[in-house]
Amino acid sequence: MSHVSEFTESEEMVCVAARLMENTTYFIGGGMPQLAVLLAQRLYAPDLMQVYEYGVIGPRIALPFERHLELANSKFNYKACAWLNMNWTFFHAAIGVLEYGMLGVNQIDQFGNVNTTFIGGDWHHPQMRLSGSGGANEIASFCWRTITVLMHERRRLVPRVDHITSPGFLDGTPSARESAGLPKDTGPYRVVTSKGLFGFDDETHRMKLLALLPGTTLEEVLENMQFEPLVADRLEVLPPPTSEEARLLREEIDPKRIVLGKGKTIRL
Amino acid sequence: MAILERGSGEFRMPDVDAHRAWMREHKLREPCNKLMSARDAVSRFVVDGDYLSYDHCFPVRGPNTLAREIMRQRKKDLWLAAKFTYVMSTLLTAAGCVRGIDVGYLGLGRVLYRAVEEGRIKITEWTNGMLTLRHLAGAMGVPFLPTRGSLGSDNVKYSGAMIVEDPYTGQPITLVPAVNPDVAIVHVNQADVFGNCRIFGPSTLPQETAMAARKVIVCAEEIIDNGEIRRDPAKTTIPYYYVDAVVDAPYGAYPGDCPGLYRGDAEHMRELFAGINDEEQLAQYLERWVYRYESDEQMLHEGVGVQKLLDMGRAEKIREGYYR
Repeated sequence: MSHVSEFTESEEMVCVAARLMENTTYFIGGGMPQLAVLLAQRLYAPDLMQVYEYGVIGPRIALPFERHLELANSKFNYKACAWLNMNWTFFHAAIGVLEYGMLGVNQIDQFGNVNTTFIGGDWHHPQMRLSGSGGANEIASFCWRTITVLMHERRRLVPRVDHITSPGFLDGTPSARESAGLPKDTGPYRVVTSKGLFGFDDETHRMKLLALLPGTTLEEVLENMQFEPLVADRLEVLPPPTSEEARLLREEIDPKRIVLGKGKTIRL
Repeated sequence: MAILERGSGEFRMPDVDAHRAWMREHKLREPCNKLMSARDAVSRFVVDGDYLSYDHCFPVRGPNTLAREIMRQRKKDLWLAAKFTYVMSTLLTAAGCVRGIDVGYLGLGRVLYRAVEEGRIKITEWTNGMLTLRHLAGAMGVPFLPTRGSLGSDNVKYSGAMIVEDPYTGQPITLVPAVNPDVAIVHVNQADVFGNCRIFGPSTLPQETAMAARKVIVCAEEIIDNGEIRRDPAKTTIPYYYVDAVVDAPYGAYPGDCPGLYRGDAEHMRELFAGINDEEQLAQYLERWVYRYESDEQMLHEGVGVQKLLDMGRAEKIREGYYR
């Protein structure tokens, strides 16, 4: 299979996330998660069903992306199985029919807790206020497995988030989520950063580096985090975008590079 | 029932019987013509200090004509329910209309975020799911509803929710208080003069928002005959008695999309987003698109122009699921 030798970090992240996907339900937010499911539908999981918080179940989105954060318009609602509303989609997640949640996030910690509320200071006097939960808390609380996507930067990968907006494994103790009252057997599953693919250790619930993204090294991954993750015994380097992945992303899905333009360009 | 955690955020205590009594006294049970201008509707039904809930978002089927009229009339001290707010809370804040926001998703841009950081705008922390559930409770006439959301997170601390021990299972569960907004603004595809409304497409929560609110203003792309409503009653999702004012507002979601009818004005959106982080630019935006016109009708005719409105209609290629 042929691969491209020049690509942006976000292109590779979208490909890594898309290759994880299967024919089931994904409750997703805007941006990179949208691109990943669109690519996966074309290449890896044709019967993947997207679910959006504003009531759209299983659309066949009319491409391409035309502007930033394109959500809820006719192209994105296109040929869905159902049009409902925001309460219903959260109920669907709470009742257990939505397998994966997928979120773009600002900050994450070693136990997969996510912060999109504020950075620095305290809640009353934040250094930088962010958007807050939106629907992310419900997605991370209710979906069976949650995948998060974020740029790999020191300030984003911290031992403990400033505010738990959306729950990961909380303090990491074995039954922390269940004791808090969250649905049993749910939690973080994968974290895709611009440098690595992470999972979580079954027992300690600590984040574990599973693979490197192309063009980076283990040292570079660790230098750009504020905590030390577990590292898999055999650390593979994931392939760059295939020619077919790159073609679909660049020509059909996001030709204006609204999402794909983000991050550094990598030349192998 | 043991209370395990109680949030410290500002919220209005639910009073179900007071709300019922208000509905009994004020909601017209007999059908009557509620058609009026946006100016009359906003001056009659939006009062300084009101809790305002709006449905859907500025870029898609937002009640933008009504929001602009609220800004034009310089309403003050509103508390917003931002369940899918996007940029409407940013604009209302920049226009000086806002005292506080119930955060589901806090708008967009540094102007709004700075107002929060500096304490000029008060917020209470919720999530989209908590806010939509609060509206459902308000629409059901109950004081609260339970959810398994926000457990284990830090959101409850700064909200008006509490975590209790569920009396059935003994497990922790979150309770969110009902919200009965003073006023709701909702953009709909079609309405008759009595206020029977049709909304085409997916949505945030128009039905529950209208049901929970004391006063409801709808702006409609099209006013249709009551006979047409009765010909296809399954399409009505908000029945007339919830609605206090019906505003005839073609292109009322401008500059956003009204799915199935027109695409948004991309050029206008670029201008808005380019200035979203800068107070001066936002002030200029409001001057240019809101204050200098006496009404949205004038803004659409003189500021946008018929040609562009027609082009927006032509740009919407998808009608499937909306109008057929």
